[in-house]
Amino acid sequence: MTSAISVRRLTKDFRIGLRGLKLRAVDDLSLEIPRGQVYGLLGPNGCGKSTTLKVVLGLVAPTAGEISILGEASATSAARRRTGFLPEAPYFHKFLTGRELVRYCAQLSGVSAGELASAVEDALGLAAMVEAADRPIGTYSKGMLQRIGFAQAVVHDPELVILDEPTAGVDPVGSAAIGRMIHAMRDKGKTVVLCSHLLGQVEQVCDRVAIMDRGKLVLEGAVDDVLARRDRHILTVEAMTPAARAAAEAALAAHGATVVSVTHPRRSLEDLFRELVTGSRDA
Amino acid sequence: MRRYLPWAVSGALLLAAGMFAEVSWRSVRPSIPEIGRKDLEPTLGQGVLLGVLGGLRTLVADLTWIRSYVLWERRDRGGCEALMRAACALDPHSRYFWEQTGYVIGYDLAHWEIRRRGGYDKVPAEIQERLFQTYGRRGIDIFEEGIARSRVTTPLVLCAAQLAEIKLKDHKLSARYYRQAAESPDAPWYAARICAQVIWQDGRQQEAYRWFRDYWTTRMLPRDDGYPDDLEKLRTMEEVLRIPPAERIPRARWER
Amino acid sequence: MQDSLRRMLWISRVTFLEAVRQRFFAFLLVLGVAMVLSSVSLRVFDFGHGELKFIADLGFGGLFFFGSVLAVVMTAQLFFSEIDNKTALTLLAKPLSRPEFLLGKFFGAWAVLGVFVVVLAGLLGAVLWAREIELVAAAEQAGKIPTTFSAGGLAQFVLLQWLRLGVVAAIVLALSSLARTFLFAVVVGALAVVAGQLQWIAQDAVLKPSDSAAYDAFLWVSSRLIPNLQQFNIGDALVLGAAGVPAGAVTTVFLSGLFYITAYLTVGALIFRRREI
Repeated sequence: MTSAISVRRLTKDFRIGLRGLKLRAVDDLSLEIPRGQVYGLLGPNGCGKSTTLKVVLGLVAPTAGEISILGEASATSAARRRTGFLPEAPYFHKFLTGRELVRYCAQLSGVSAGELASAVEDALGLAAMVEAADRPIGTYSKGMLQRIGFAQAVVHDPELVILDEPTAGVDPVGSAAIGRMIHAMRDKGKTVVLCSHLLGQVEQVCDRVAIMDRGKLVLEGAVDDVLARRDRHILTVEAMTPAARAAAEAALAAHGATVVSVTHPRRSLEDLFRELVTGSRDA
Repeated sequence: MRRYLPWAVSGALLLAAGMFAEVSWRSVRPSIPEIGRKDLEPTLGQGVLLGVLGGLRTLVADLTWIRSYVLWERRDRGGCEALMRAACALDPHSRYFWEQTGYVIGYDLAHWEIRRRGGYDKVPAEIQERLFQTYGRRGIDIFEEGIARSRVTTPLVLCAAQLAEIKLKDHKLSARYYRQAAESPDAPWYAARICAQVIWQDGRQQEAYRWFRDYWTTRMLPRDDGYPDDLEKLRTMEEVLRIPPAERIPRARWER
Repeated sequence: MQDSLRRMLWISRVTFLEAVRQRFFAFLLVLGVAMVLSSVSLRVFDFGHGELKFIADLGFGGLFFFGSVLAVVMTAQLFFSEIDNKTALTLLAKPLSRPEFLLGKFFGAWAVLGVFVVVLAGLLGAVLWAREIELVAAAEQAGKIPTTFSAGGLAQFVLLQWLRLGVVAAIVLALSSLARTFLFAVVVGALAVVAGQLQWIAQDAVLKPSDSAAYDAFLWVSSRLIPNLQQFNIGDALVLGAAGVPAGAVTTVFLSGLFYITAYLTVGALIFRRREI
């Protein structure tokens, strides 16, 4: 089976100023993004990840390299028909209601008239935007904008969904909701590519990650593989006394192992926040 | 090569559109009033450009005319003439603008110039006469331009005739204009009589009588009252020229 | 083809809705309406023109001036709002080609300009009609020939003005495809309108060739590359019968307008295809 996205030796230069100085945003990047997975493209601001996505979507022309989406050359209408995209900090026409926007995008994406109504309702349902669907977009909060953006990206039931910073500026409850949507897409067998610099969130939702820096790929692999340190282990112990700790350290030392540190496990602040505000909606 | 093909095609399209526009411009050109571009150049910076661009011509012409009157009151020769010419150029169909511009240039400007040079007592008579001639000619030129471009021409021909008579004292030229006015279909009743009078004053008395008699017989006599005042004038001419009674205009029944 | 037309239609529809909701459109429409209505009271400034001509001329002026401002500023704004707000990213990531996007924008803007022209010309027609009734009655009493206007001529003039504004909108879209900023597109677009309105000077000069080959070449190029917008200003002849309009002339001008629109949109689409968003 072909990859969801195949990038071969992509280079992208931007010309700056009247003298046409070259700025290399992406440098000889090669990537294979498998189907049916949630793929995270990570990196600091300006590392070239958004440019890579734009090139993949045909919004920016590559200086060199080849890109294909679902086996078809990128930047073709056929490839885009099978792709959904949520740009970073999306902005939509404020005078349209959420439902009108999703409908408009469905029409542009080639959803047939017969399937239009159900496709719009499904997408609004997936994004948990049914209740606010008839309000003008101008009245939406940041989180709602992201969710309606997600709905417009998936309304035509694409095989590949590309999300550029989907949780930027969104509170943890909203982020969790977007995380659930991403999982729902994966459960339906879709490929989700997301681009973010919020590492905690990527770790939670992604199956594979690629890390970019200064336009180059520095690491790529399954999340578990790249994060696990095979040379170290964690034991979680309950009701440990100082005597028990000393005995355990002695036993380990007898086998040539060394205890490097002993700490209390912590839950993340995000987990604590979500626990405290459970049930609140991002409205 | 294929890379440049779309650009070549679009360049060709632009050129083709331009060439087609030339054809369409030729077809509508007579329907658009001519604008005297040279006359507008000095005043383009004063809002007149808006009128040249399209629409609002009448309003801009009117406002330009009002401003020219302010300058007329200040006796600003250059400014007044430029704005009046601009009004004519913006709306060349307006008889009023041509008529008034011709009058101001032909009659007033010479007086302003004499005053500027110190007044009638200081400026020698021959210089004064030369100024009247110079500005009179320019007034005639304005009337000529108006005759060529305005739609109602006869009043402008009469203006030219009057200016030629009063300021240029050129009876031949004046008579030619009066005759042109008298022979036009919308000639006023007095044009022929003044024409005959001017030819007479020019010393061509026989010619004046013959022309006026012919004009009166063909164009005035068939009308309701036969213009008795003009017949009276013709009788005076016959007396002065001692035309034998048999050759005179036959006596009309209503004649006193 | 049908899908493509549908996509353009949807882009046009949203563009139209966006434009008519703008205060700028309402503002210019109100100014234009005020200008047409003011012709009735501004008649005191008139110096011997036919009264209907004065009213018509103010209406034509309103159509020209405010229509041109609307065509330049609104079209550029509709384009750059999509680019600057990144809605273009969302739309162009869908199976929508860039020419379809640009044409959709054009037809949306052109529809708004159509509404503007029809509203102003409708009002102008009503004012002319009302005044014509009074003038005809007065002329009949005085035994003079009354001045009248042609409603059919006004309809043809409306069509030509709509086309003229369409040409302006197409030029502005071509410029916007190239420009990086809204301001650049508006300033150059406005200059293009002025050049287009004055282009007939070159056209007239071309009709009378000079002795200088270089001058002739300059005129040849400028009279073809700069659109002749003055050819659409035959309102006096069409509406008031100031001069005869030769048979077929309106059709020729109409075709010329369509030709210009096609040419500038083609250039715009080519530039936009290469633009990085």
